[in-house]
Amino acid sequence: MKLVNIWLLLLVVLLCGKKHLGDRLEKRSFEKAPCPGCSHLTLKVEFSSTVVEYADPVVPCNETRWSQKWQSSRPLRRASLSLGSGFWHATGRHSSRRLLRAIPRQVAQTLQADVLWQMGYTGANVRVAVFDTGLSEKHPHFKNVKERTNWTNERTLDDGLGHGTFVAGVIASMRECQGFAPDAELHIFRVFTNNQVSYTSWFLDAFNYAILKKIDVLNLSIGGPDFMDHPFVDKVWELTANNVIMVSAIGNDGPLYGTLNNPADQMDVIGVGGIDFEDNIARFSSRGMTTWELPGGYGRVKPDIVTYGAGVRGSGMKGGCRALSGTSVASPVVAGAVTLLVSTVQKRELVNPASMKQALIASARRLPGVNMFEQGHGKLDLLRAYQILNSYKPQASLSPSYIDLTECPYMWPYCSQPIYYGGMPTIVNVTILNGMGVTGRIVDKPEWQPYLPQNGDNIEVAFSYSSVLWPWSGYLAISISVTKKAASWEGIAQGHVMITVASPAEAESKNGAEQTSTVKLPIKVKIIPAPPRSKRILWDQYHNLRYPPGYFPRDNLRMKNDPLDWNGDHIHTNFRDMYQHLRSMGYFVEVLGSPFTCFDANQYGTLLMVDSEEEYFPEEVAKLRRDVDNGLSLIIFSDWYNTSVMRKVKFYDENTRQWWMPDTGGANIPALNELLSVWNMAFSDGLYEGDFTLASHDMYYASGCSIAKFPEDGVVITQTFKDQGLEVLKQETAVVENVPILGLYQIPAEGGGRIVLYGDSNCLDDSHRQKDCFWLLDALLQYTSYGVTPPSLSHSGHRQRPPSGAGLATPERMEGNHLHRYSKVLEARLGGPEPRALPACPHLSWAKPQPLNETAPSNLWKHQKLLSIDLDKVVLPNFRSNRPQVRPLSPGESGAWDIPGGIMPGRYNQEVGQTIPVFAFLGAMVVLAFFVVQINKAKSRPKRRKPRVKRPQLMQQVHPPKTPSV
Amino acid sequence: MPPGPRASRVPRPGRRAPRPRRYGEPRGHGVAPAPEEEEERAVRDRNLLQVQDHDQPILWKVQFNLGNSSRPSNQCRNSIQGKLLITDELGYVCERKDLLVNGCCDVSVPSTKQHCCDGCLSNGCCSAYEHCVSCCLQPSKQLLLERFLSRAAVAFQNLFMAVEDHFELCLAKCRTSSQSVQHENTYRDPVAKYCYGESPPELFPA
Repeated sequence: MKLVNIWLLLLVVLLCGKKHLGDRLEKRSFEKAPCPGCSHLTLKVEFSSTVVEYADPVVPCNETRWSQKWQSSRPLRRASLSLGSGFWHATGRHSSRRLLRAIPRQVAQTLQADVLWQMGYTGANVRVAVFDTGLSEKHPHFKNVKERTNWTNERTLDDGLGHGTFVAGVIASMRECQGFAPDAELHIFRVFTNNQVSYTSWFLDAFNYAILKKIDVLNLSIGGPDFMDHPFVDKVWELTANNVIMVSAIGNDGPLYGTLNNPADQMDVIGVGGIDFEDNIARFSSRGMTTWELPGGYGRVKPDIVTYGAGVRGSGMKGGCRALSGTSVASPVVAGAVTLLVSTVQKRELVNPASMKQALIASARRLPGVNMFEQGHGKLDLLRAYQILNSYKPQASLSPSYIDLTECPYMWPYCSQPIYYGGMPTIVNVTILNGMGVTGRIVDKPEWQPYLPQNGDNIEVAFSYSSVLWPWSGYLAISISVTKKAASWEGIAQGHVMITVASPAEAESKNGAEQTSTVKLPIKVKIIPAPPRSKRILWDQYHNLRYPPGYFPRDNLRMKNDPLDWNGDHIHTNFRDMYQHLRSMGYFVEVLGSPFTCFDANQYGTLLMVDSEEEYFPEEVAKLRRDVDNGLSLIIFSDWYNTSVMRKVKFYDENTRQWWMPDTGGANIPALNELLSVWNMAFSDGLYEGDFTLASHDMYYASGCSIAKFPEDGVVITQTFKDQGLEVLKQETAVVENVPILGLYQIPAEGGGRIVLYGDSNCLDDSHRQKDCFWLLDALLQYTSYGVTPPSLSHSGHRQRPPSGAGLATPERMEGNHLHRYSKVLEARLGGPEPRALPACPHLSWAKPQPLNETAPSNLWKHQKLLSIDLDKVVLPNFRSNRPQVRPLSPGESGAWDIPGGIMPGRYNQEVGQTIPVFAFLGAMVVLAFFVVQINKAKSRPKRRKPRVKRPQLMQQVHPPKTPSV
Repeated sequence: MPPGPRASRVPRPGRRAPRPRRYGEPRGHGVAPAPEEEEERAVRDRNLLQVQDHDQPILWKVQFNLGNSSRPSNQCRNSIQGKLLITDELGYVCERKDLLVNGCCDVSVPSTKQHCCDGCLSNGCCSAYEHCVSCCLQPSKQLLLERFLSRAAVAFQNLFMAVEDHFELCLAKCRTSSQSVQHENTYRDPVAKYCYGESPPELFPA
């Protein structure tokens, strides 16, 4: 069954303490620094990937409530998304200049919220809900806490962690570290316990209450990978359908791709990624396409927008301010901005989850050099969003708003590989936002209008789309293919798709008449002649299974703090580095999202199967055999499968209150062995681990299996490893020599293909990879594509006689496994799971082209994003430019430098009147003088390192790589 | 210690999952009490662990039978969210295209039905939210709802304390909730999951 476990990832910077950063990093998990009276800065950080010990790590301070305890029996589930950060502090002692650049900022002022405040907008009459860890009753930063409710099993409404207070502060704090909308009605929903526990069922009840209370904006600084938690996902849709604008954090699992968190990955939710104050995507920010659509489709673009999420200042638990990092922080920045924006709109009935998202993404500022699967539409621009929202007419729009497959890097990965005749169709999954109504539909069909002067007739497109656009949104997936007549043509082809969206009439329109909106989607692609067969690789996506829904364990058993295989196993998610490498080597990589019976093997040199968990239809086994006989080559990177180990890695999931038993090992070896049996090959149930050298490359074998059986005339390479199976099962260490790990085989028949087996996939996978083996993949592709046996392998000292299979067990499928529940191949039958009937291969019906004698504009990006709004023509009201200065934080000032009472306009400050700017100015001058002195001091000191280092060096240490050294 | 997730899979003291809530078990508070009161109650509850402190009947403010005449105008509240259907406060369920500008269903359309229980089972659970609300608005359901409020709704105080009339009660009652799930992330019954009745959906065999 599925998991809905929820934990908090709370890693927090405390602006206090005295110790040296370097000393503390060595300890990896830190004690809570004694705070009173401290004058210097230190940070307290714990990082997930640093804890890799076998034994349960000792947590040095149990009182430190921030620490994530990895002993949790619950796997990574929905979590609160903030990160420890504040690395700039570490550099304070090195150079004042860096300190100046990297100070925690007043995020509301940085985003120019004060311009809207001065116009009198402060979030009044907007109901904003914070679903988090609660808030204390009399927190000094909040003036309009309408209600606090508790949905946990702890009898308190107060925040015992600080996460909820911080989030609420970013949205609505009125003093010190100011939020965006101090006058908004705050509704505090406590859905996390102080032990960082939460449940879907608590959320469901709390969400129902939010609907009843007619909440306008709801912040969810939480997330987890389980997008198949239907009760939760359905409920989020229900909220959106009830006009609640949902804002959620995209996740802190970056920089790995395929790490988007739910609910931020839903198309009705505003998913927010994080950047730092220098407009770099924060390393932690989750990214990559959504993975719901795999294997047959292609993911949607997320996050929707990005904003400041690193070193943002917000409210402390009892008052004061502190800095925090994470998409947990970025989310309330957007939620606060949205709340403020809602209060600026006169015609409130025009504000809905779609129109707000349309305004945010149409106004966002694109960051240079960053692709759309990292930044979405770019960086939040509050004032431009204000302009758009206040001239908004209900309409539909698209995300992305154009498709330019030639535009790099923004349209990566599309721009990384041109399309050609005979290739798998390229799919772009566009999200339709419909600001006209909660439900809508596409009228007739989308139309494809190729531009004849621009060779638009050289491509064909096919559509699949939501039959009903609900709630406020839907999808339009566009499959693009090259026509036969352009099989040897090279050039750019352009055209556009037109769709008309209709929604039922709203109150003010004529009775019965539907509202409609027509949107144009420009398309531009690069076509090349089809590359030769030897250059084309087909990636088997169809046989990759992952969490959710089932428990598919990680391929590397040491990664116990992230035990689930949840990144999609796609060349554009966690196999991205491998894909980039293959492209750089001149290979073309396509993705097979359907059974082996659905591709033309004559087109491809090599079928690449990595870490496959799925079973195979008998028809697939037969077809693959024929294909290999006819010259298709096969490279299989397998993984471990040992039923004893699988039983051992079961765990009790506290949140679903049941035992979780893996449904396969790292790979499904029993199924692979059936596929391979015709060639007299098999993998074993062994489980090996160790470092080794192959062809003078350092390699690491992470929880891999061995080859049990291989044909006599094949080449087999062996290595000496630790028996990890024994280690897991009996805690004993044993070294095994001559473990066969790599086998190369040429089908003897005329024109036959080649088969390569390797026992571990970890060296190709970006998640938790320690040493890549792309060089090996190159060598193997040389072999499969061109028949060149790399001398480094064939003449290796590690070459041994191929194993005959005698004496080595090949694994049987684990008794009682539930693979059939998640399999596309198996179904439950009396007497055990059996293969289903082979499904029909996907059939695309190409849209009938309606050619136009038109020429596309050269810059598709600049085309109008929303109708009747021309951003260049909208003029902002006469904003006052003498906005209060944002002062830098200097060491020793800690939280004390905030101007008491704040600089917020409105009722709260009326008595203070005009004196505040004067104070601000004087304060700024004092600080400026301080820094002038500091800079002069720094200049007189000997230089410690190059002056133009872009990032503080310590940042690298503080952010350990995803692949820790064991 | 062996590697692998299992090495850390024993629930640890202090990090234990909360025990499953039973139906009717109190959970959470209503609107925020004053801090002193909050403190006091927290202590008391801890002392009283087993003794449920809900002898006093909750004073629900739900008003049934406001009747058509009491509605301020010819405007209707409705169920807002529906993908295809919508239910107005008079209990009419109609297709979204048949919703009038005043928020009421167009009763002249043949497909519009009042107090419609299509797809509702005998346990009071329906396969469509709009039909659940429409069915729940039958005057005859008032007894059932009152009984629900007097017994089971204690577990949902936050929610049902805030409900003001029959329509709001039905809107809230029919939604999926903590009662609708097993193992947190699956529906007890993936089809008939919208319930106006007292009991949770039938547990669908896994």
